[in-house]
Amino acid sequence: MLGLNIQLLVAGLSVGSIYALVALGLVMTYKASDVLNFAQGEILTAGAYIALLFSVTLKFPYYQSFFLTIILISGLGILLERVAFRPLIMAPPFTIIIATLAVGQMIKNLIRLIWQSDVHRLSPPFRMAIWKWQDIRVNTQAVWVIACALIITGILAVFFRSSWLGKAMRSVSQNQQGARLMGISVERVFSLTWAISAALGAAAGILIAPLIGVYPDMGLVLVKAFVASIIGGFTSLAGAVVGGLVVGLIETFSGAYISSTFKEFVAFILLIVLLMFRPYGLFGAKQARRV
Amino acid sequence: MVLREAFDSKIGLLAIVVILLTLPWLLGSFYLYTLSLILVNVIIATGLNLLTGNAGQVSLCSSTFMAIGAYSAMVLNLKFGLTYWLALPLAGLIAAALGFGLGVPALRLRGYYLALATLAFLEIIQIVIQEASTLTGGVRGLLAPRPTFAGFKLNDQSFYYFILVITFLMIYIARNLLNSPLGRAFNAIRNSEAAAQALGISLAQVKVIAFTISAFYAGLAGGLYAPLVGFVDPVEFGLWTSIFHLTMIIVGGLGSLMGSVVGAVVITGLPEWLRGLKEYRDLASGAILLCFLIFMPTGIAGMWGRFHRPLDHISKETEVNGTRS
Amino acid sequence: MSFFAVEQVSLQFGGLLALRKVSLSIPNEGEIHGLIGPNGAGKTSFINTITGIYRCTEGRIVFRGKDLVGLTPHQIAARGIGRTFQNVEIFADQTVLINVLTSLHLHLGHGAWGSALGLPRARKAERQARNEAMSLLEMFGLEKYCDVRAGDLPFGILKRVELARALGTRPHLLLLDEPTSGMSELEAEETITLLRRLVQEKKIALLVVEHNMRVIMNLAEKLTVLNYGEKIAEGTPDQVQSNPEVISAYLGEEHANA
Repeated sequence: MLGLNIQLLVAGLSVGSIYALVALGLVMTYKASDVLNFAQGEILTAGAYIALLFSVTLKFPYYQSFFLTIILISGLGILLERVAFRPLIMAPPFTIIIATLAVGQMIKNLIRLIWQSDVHRLSPPFRMAIWKWQDIRVNTQAVWVIACALIITGILAVFFRSSWLGKAMRSVSQNQQGARLMGISVERVFSLTWAISAALGAAAGILIAPLIGVYPDMGLVLVKAFVASIIGGFTSLAGAVVGGLVVGLIETFSGAYISSTFKEFVAFILLIVLLMFRPYGLFGAKQARRV
Repeated sequence: MVLREAFDSKIGLLAIVVILLTLPWLLGSFYLYTLSLILVNVIIATGLNLLTGNAGQVSLCSSTFMAIGAYSAMVLNLKFGLTYWLALPLAGLIAAALGFGLGVPALRLRGYYLALATLAFLEIIQIVIQEASTLTGGVRGLLAPRPTFAGFKLNDQSFYYFILVITFLMIYIARNLLNSPLGRAFNAIRNSEAAAQALGISLAQVKVIAFTISAFYAGLAGGLYAPLVGFVDPVEFGLWTSIFHLTMIIVGGLGSLMGSVVGAVVITGLPEWLRGLKEYRDLASGAILLCFLIFMPTGIAGMWGRFHRPLDHISKETEVNGTRS
Repeated sequence: MSFFAVEQVSLQFGGLLALRKVSLSIPNEGEIHGLIGPNGAGKTSFINTITGIYRCTEGRIVFRGKDLVGLTPHQIAARGIGRTFQNVEIFADQTVLINVLTSLHLHLGHGAWGSALGLPRARKAERQARNEAMSLLEMFGLEKYCDVRAGDLPFGILKRVELARALGTRPHLLLLDEPTSGMSELEAEETITLLRRLVQEKKIALLVVEHNMRVIMNLAEKLTVLNYGEKIAEGTPDQVQSNPEVISAYLGEEHANA
């Protein structure tokens, strides 16, 4: 019994970590530039495919592929920001939703053109797929996902708290005018924000690929990441992480104890319930409009 | 625009009607099929534009209401033996009821939150369709035969005429609504919720009505789409189809009835214009969408409307009184 | 019983007390009451509280015998209270005519079903509505703008459009938030004359928030002065003008701005 629960815990935390990473990327760009990036799922997919390119086609070792992919996709994030999203900065939510969705579609189409729609395999970094201890079997990749997510989140937290760049990002997201007056280049901060956000998406893609395969529709985890962001209120990075883990755990445990059908529903029902009763999430702040 | 002026003039309208009535005899079956598809999309675009373009409510689940209409019509017809001619309007009403059901919780939501709620609704219905496979055929879908009238199965031409009549009816209703207090209320709540309320307009009522009407249009269209295509495939009613619908109204012109029609014609025909580039379809439509969003946010109809706006007498007036602010 | 009475109303935003026990009454219809005070005194918040955008944390608001606290803004509007906004909340992508037409639904509204089907009764009601909208525009000299897109017009003209629109709901009480801002001297004069005529002919009561002292001293019969969310003076224009507290409140503002 304990064995099952520990397995579920690990599985839940690992899928939750993926949601958390994607949600972190979403919340970051939202806080900085009010853009909710519906293409984040496709950035995740792009990350997985580029990693595929490096490790399978070019036969680079795992860690090199990981690193190079992150760099490349960060560049993609900066490119997208410059070309597609900066012109839309003052646009209403509707426009931004459609624009980001369109960009996502385009990325997915490009991926399909190059790699077709088959499912590819990305190997995990460990030789042993399962750890066994007494009667507990744990998927090593799942543990690796949790570990990486922890490390990444930790690095980000430290970065925001203490580095100059991190503080600059925080001030830009709070008050653009003020930040500009203090000599901070808002444009550079935007680029950096989008780079990091894309990197987070790419990391999520690389980490989840060994578990579910690499295929063009991978990005559909985005909806779950939305749920995670809303739990966190869209304005809290810590909330996004907590939200992601919560969704992952609820999904996994309800899948085992209630039914697999319920597991599919639960995230969306959670979303609707949250939107109805606490649209600003459990951590977020209400924003009123003054007339 | 020639089309709009034509619409306004009775003769022009008559000419369009005559053309549309005689086309089946001139077109081969493939083009007739495309034309029928365009008409179905006109209905969806019109309903969606009322909700999003006029009332300003973001919705990502137009394909869901279309699915509800398609499945309802076919299930009522095939599994419950109801004649298609009753099943169709009922399907629209079922979709409308679900639109109402979505509208109520969506009342307090705006912008991103509303979009996400509609997305969640889309996903939930997708799962329901998959799970209720005894009714819906699950992932395998449903066969959707053409309806029969007086013992005869409708062929492509007769079904086309039927769709044509329904399309005209739905456009007529939309035009009347837009020129009525309700239509003005739609535009009011989109422009300024505060001012709309100060004029006695109930945000709640108007939003729910907008969702309900839009869902009815999409549901009806779905009920027409199923026998047209001959098959109900759940894969066709996902997020990408909703984006397709939104593309129609963005390119055509948000908030404009003419825009709905133009957008449906242009975008439905797009796979045709791009026949050789089928693999690049999403890339192309995504690029078109982005271009319109950035450079032509008022769509084709909006651009044309600009040429008709009276600008002269403003500048004279303000020069006299000096009220430039 | 008073026509309109606000009794001891307070409004709190989190830790900030925007209004503290403010009372104001307009005993009869057809009276003009002014509301003045330095920037940030809470005048617009007061208006927003009356119209139901904010809910007061204590106090009563009674209009023609009915309690308004807790009602939604559209319900309050339907009871006969109209308002204009400080930063015109015009329907920017609609024509001026449609802006005014939108307000007529309360009294000339025709059922949605009739409209949708294009029934003759609905069409007749629509024609009537258009006529009434045009006469409202004519009243304010705006008929030449009827087909102009509202968003293309200058601020001063939009102030008048908002006034015409607010009248469409046939209000008994009109709350005007800086009705002459953005207008030239001439336009402001014309607007004031028009407002006085409206009050006389239709017995509409006015509660006017104004920064332009010349305008409000001429227009209002009675003034209430707010400062930091509290009422500091009330009386006729002459009384208020010579009130030392009022003078120091405004002088304080001048010092701050200097």
